[in-house]
Amino acid sequence: MPEISLTVNGERVTKSVEGRTLLVEFIRESLKLTGTHIGCDTSQCGACTVHLNGKAVKSCTMLAAQADGAEITTIEGLAPEGQLNPMQKAFNENHGLQCGFCTPGMVMRAMALVAENPNPTEEEVRHGLDGNICRCTGYQNIVAAVLDGAKAMRG
Amino acid sequence: MSKVELGQSLRRFEDQRFLTGRGRYIDDVNLDGQARAVVVRSPYAHAKINSIDTSMAMDMDGVLLVVTRDDWKREGFQPMPTKSAVQKNADGTPLKQPPRHCLAMDKVTYVGEPVALVVAETLQQARDAAEAVDVDYDELPALVDPVAALQPGAEQIWDDIPNNLCLDFELGDKDGTDAAFAEADHVVSLDVLNNRVTAVPIETRGCVADYDAATDQYTLYNASQNMHANRDTFAEVLKIDKNKLAHIAPDVGGGFGSKNSGYPEPPLCLYAAKVLGRPIKWINNRSESFLSDTHGRGQTARMELALTADGTFLALRINTIAGIGSYAWTVGPFTPTGGSARTSGGPYAFKAMHFRGRAVFTNTAPMDPYRGAGRPEATYNTERIVEYAARKLGFDPIELRRKNLMPREMLPHKTPMGLDVDCGDFPRLFDMTMDMANKADLSALRAKTEAAGKKFGFAIAPYLECTGGGPKEYAGVAFNKDGSVDMSIGTSSTGMGHETSLAQILAATLGIDVERVRFHQSDTTATPIGGGHGGSRAMEVGGSAVQQAAREIIELAKPIAARLLQSETEEVEFEDGSFKAGASSVSMNDVIEASQDADKLPEGMEPGCLDHSSVFERGIISVPNGVHAAAVEVDPETGVVKFLGYWIMDDFGKIINPLLADGQVMGGVAQGLGQAFLEDIVYDPDTGQLVTGSLMDYGLPHADEIPHMEIGYYEGEPTEKNPLGVKGAGEAGCVGACPAAVNAVLDALKDYGVTTIDMPLTPMKIWKAIQSGGEHDPHGLLGDAA
Amino acid sequence: MEDFTYTRPSSLSDAATAHGNADDAMYMSGGQTLIPVLKQGLAMPTDIVDLNAIGDLAGIEVAGGFVTIGAMTRHAVVAASAEVKSAIPALAVLAGGIGDPQVRNRGTIGGSLANNDPSADYPSAVMGLNATVVTDQRELAAEDYFDGMFATNLEPGEIIKAVKFPIPEKAGYAKFPNPASRYALVGVFVAKTASGVRVAVTGAGQEGVFRAASIEDALSGDFSAAAVDGATVPTDDLMNDMHADPEYRANLIKVMAKRAVDRANGQG
Repeated sequence: MPEISLTVNGERVTKSVEGRTLLVEFIRESLKLTGTHIGCDTSQCGACTVHLNGKAVKSCTMLAAQADGAEITTIEGLAPEGQLNPMQKAFNENHGLQCGFCTPGMVMRAMALVAENPNPTEEEVRHGLDGNICRCTGYQNIVAAVLDGAKAMRG
Repeated sequence: MSKVELGQSLRRFEDQRFLTGRGRYIDDVNLDGQARAVVVRSPYAHAKINSIDTSMAMDMDGVLLVVTRDDWKREGFQPMPTKSAVQKNADGTPLKQPPRHCLAMDKVTYVGEPVALVVAETLQQARDAAEAVDVDYDELPALVDPVAALQPGAEQIWDDIPNNLCLDFELGDKDGTDAAFAEADHVVSLDVLNNRVTAVPIETRGCVADYDAATDQYTLYNASQNMHANRDTFAEVLKIDKNKLAHIAPDVGGGFGSKNSGYPEPPLCLYAAKVLGRPIKWINNRSESFLSDTHGRGQTARMELALTADGTFLALRINTIAGIGSYAWTVGPFTPTGGSARTSGGPYAFKAMHFRGRAVFTNTAPMDPYRGAGRPEATYNTERIVEYAARKLGFDPIELRRKNLMPREMLPHKTPMGLDVDCGDFPRLFDMTMDMANKADLSALRAKTEAAGKKFGFAIAPYLECTGGGPKEYAGVAFNKDGSVDMSIGTSSTGMGHETSLAQILAATLGIDVERVRFHQSDTTATPIGGGHGGSRAMEVGGSAVQQAAREIIELAKPIAARLLQSETEEVEFEDGSFKAGASSVSMNDVIEASQDADKLPEGMEPGCLDHSSVFERGIISVPNGVHAAAVEVDPETGVVKFLGYWIMDDFGKIINPLLADGQVMGGVAQGLGQAFLEDIVYDPDTGQLVTGSLMDYGLPHADEIPHMEIGYYEGEPTEKNPLGVKGAGEAGCVGACPAAVNAVLDALKDYGVTTIDMPLTPMKIWKAIQSGGEHDPHGLLGDAA
Repeated sequence: MEDFTYTRPSSLSDAATAHGNADDAMYMSGGQTLIPVLKQGLAMPTDIVDLNAIGDLAGIEVAGGFVTIGAMTRHAVVAASAEVKSAIPALAVLAGGIGDPQVRNRGTIGGSLANNDPSADYPSAVMGLNATVVTDQRELAAEDYFDGMFATNLEPGEIIKAVKFPIPEKAGYAKFPNPASRYALVGVFVAKTASGVRVAVTGAGQEGVFRAASIEDALSGDFSAAAVDGATVPTDDLMNDMHADPEYRANLIKVMAKRAVDRANGQG
């Protein structure tokens, strides 16, 4: 089994993995970081979205071995002290989540979207969330949250 | 710390853990020593099982157990009978149902039906071994279409159930309806399809089952939205005392009705846990979910409307047929029958109505509740025949609707379907919705759309809803020495935010800081009864139970307050969180603190005397209502629809938390629009194989497909059916969305002569409707079957 | 998913060696199609040879009338590239419409072409622009590269290094996404080059990407959307599924071709 070494939420980890181990399985099972979720098996839902070297990727569509040497950020890495960051706060303020299952992926994608485009329009936000499915909210409050979060992050 | 009120958009407490990755869903539950289970599912829609050979699987690495029908027969485990609220055919005979066991017995009857459960040390080992379970089948012809399944001479799924007919239900006045049709100036008739869909909560189903031999106690952690009823069902299956089974849901990642049913996997895992003496974890994957989760809608109705020459509605006739899968599931036979009858006819005044609904067995996945369970179908069918009448007879669709709404002075009114409409102001909501839409300047939108070579459409759809689900709910309140307040409730939030809204009701009623409330739900050890989630019941029944318990606590507290105030209990009044007697007052907080201190209590009262529980029982269901309106643009070259505006007025009675109510409406609309444009469960008509078995083929709405919605609430007609004055909000969004959207598209297609189109309105279907020039057979779906 | 031996070589020759030494190896680039395929058990290789550590396979170069894109270049990089946007803007548009943002952060042009999904976007650009596929062994012209649905003329073990796109006078791409998967139900790449007009269609053909001769003829004399109206698209070899039958696909080919022409002409 290949041994991999990577940084997850700022901490260095070294572990052995099977070749077939998906990054999401590694995060959930080996690292016990269960905030990253699995909602489908065809790479559509985006609940497993994490940051790989700063970019949003679907951790169900990557092998753990491919993350060797990478920097990974999961939802747990956004508010290590329990204080919500501006995007998380905006989701709470705008009721941008209901069951919470798609939420970690949605927030991780939203953070990346705003990093790429700090001042997005509503339409850009809606298109920018193409890789994430929410079944509860009808998206309207998610979109409002991302716009608000972007504004707060611009300062 | 904060005081809260009813009607305040309090932000949710549960968000903190969900937003930081600290939610605990079923796949996050891991017990020491747990083994993993995988279900072996039928690859055939209909086949006789000759034999099941588990020997190869048992020999594989890590495999601990393979549960088959032999175990089930040997143990004498029981089937799960339907709990349908309608149990009798129109002729008084009972509905027909085959025994529904957790594993297929003599034959498999749908693709995905459980055939065996494989348990191994690891998930991968269980998966590998599941492939090695050797089942010998003889394939039989598959029945997918319920209309064909009803035909004389059709293959019978169950030998003792002729014509595959589970239930033949009627409601209303047949003779009166026939008489009204006979005297009508106009009669229109149209077959309307309500496409089969599935809920697709982003969290799939799963459970962790545990058994303690020392105490003979089972514990089931389950992604379910109905704990008590399913505990009873599972205990019946396994022939155990229900008090020996604790049924607990962790955070649940959406349900929408699909996590309401008594599914087969949990009893299988409970049995395996006992046999192996180890916890068993089972998680469905998405592909399996499409095969094995319950489906919803999926009925075809012959709608007939009788009108006078001036367009006054006289009578409505509904004759609907639905394929409910191969078994009668928890409420499967009810949805297309009683569930679809009650709100038929919508908020319009009718002299007479008659409804016939037939639930038919098919070789498809089971039908059970999906958000609305019958009411979206009733409203959609009604609005489609009204639209068809307007188009065919030359009435303005908006005016025709406005004219036929029940006027306010007609209420209270019992409809010909027996629904008690106690209050509401349908014309006012209709006009308010039109005002909202008109503010967007519809004519300018139309001009802009047409200038770009597109077609503009607008439609308005009033809806009538009714709530449902278990009529009783329990709320328990316990005050702790650390100042926290435990609130236990038998409702089940799968995302609706009860941790906040129910705490809001408790805190507002008692006048205490809301942050003190610790919320407990979905746990059969925490509440003696519980109706779970379904029928938009949580605020109506659960919220009322909380408020009732709180009000009773205030009465219990008065003697304590009287002692603190050196007054008499009868002199004490409670207002705004304080007890007052004359000029002096004491806060609820102080009274709660005193209730923990024997020295401060009146004689005969013990510390903890304010801990209290209450059961609220609903009398008659409430009748939420409202109006949706949609403006769309259709690209005639491709058939693509784009929303230009979406407006909603809802009467949910008193709104507890507007922010959360918005969430319910928006989510409901998105699911309705998903059904209207994208979602479709398609089985191969010959083989019964599921064509739309993954998110590659079953389309769900994305953020760029759902319009921005403007939502308003009318709170001028609170119901007196419950003390909060609320009318359920959870399902209304998807009731109004399909008719508004589809009729708006039909409006856009009117220049092409198109008067009917069936969901989902895919671009191809719209393009083909345009090419066809509106040519259609109004009875093409049901033919002679209706 | 069946287990496999995972290797991540750092050079092309090591990759080819690893592939050659294995019983049944597959290369992995972005993995955005391959991993779902492995999960479903539709492929069960003994070895996965990951190309992600081969540094010189990613990058964009514009020179000598060509845009050359390294095989491991991610879709998001192509979509955001100022050089691509300036030289062949339609190519950036195409890359920016593949899958979704997360997929574009992983998926690569080389992986897309090696897989040759009949509904993938990139094959239409390669065919439409008459690009050259450069491998570790040779150069293949577009017409020689594709070999039907999910099939190419790559030899076992052969690795795509880069794709060389000749810069056209103008080009446009229009895609009609599958409502569920968001792959192309029909995608049309239109290019006007010195040697003539090329129209390549993806998502629609039973044999994968193809050139729409009737539309090319119509556009040769008059490179305008209106010219497409007169063309007839045969339905014989078009795919048929629940989202689109051949008749509807034929219509979409014309409509998307018109929109692509408008975009090429700066009108879309």
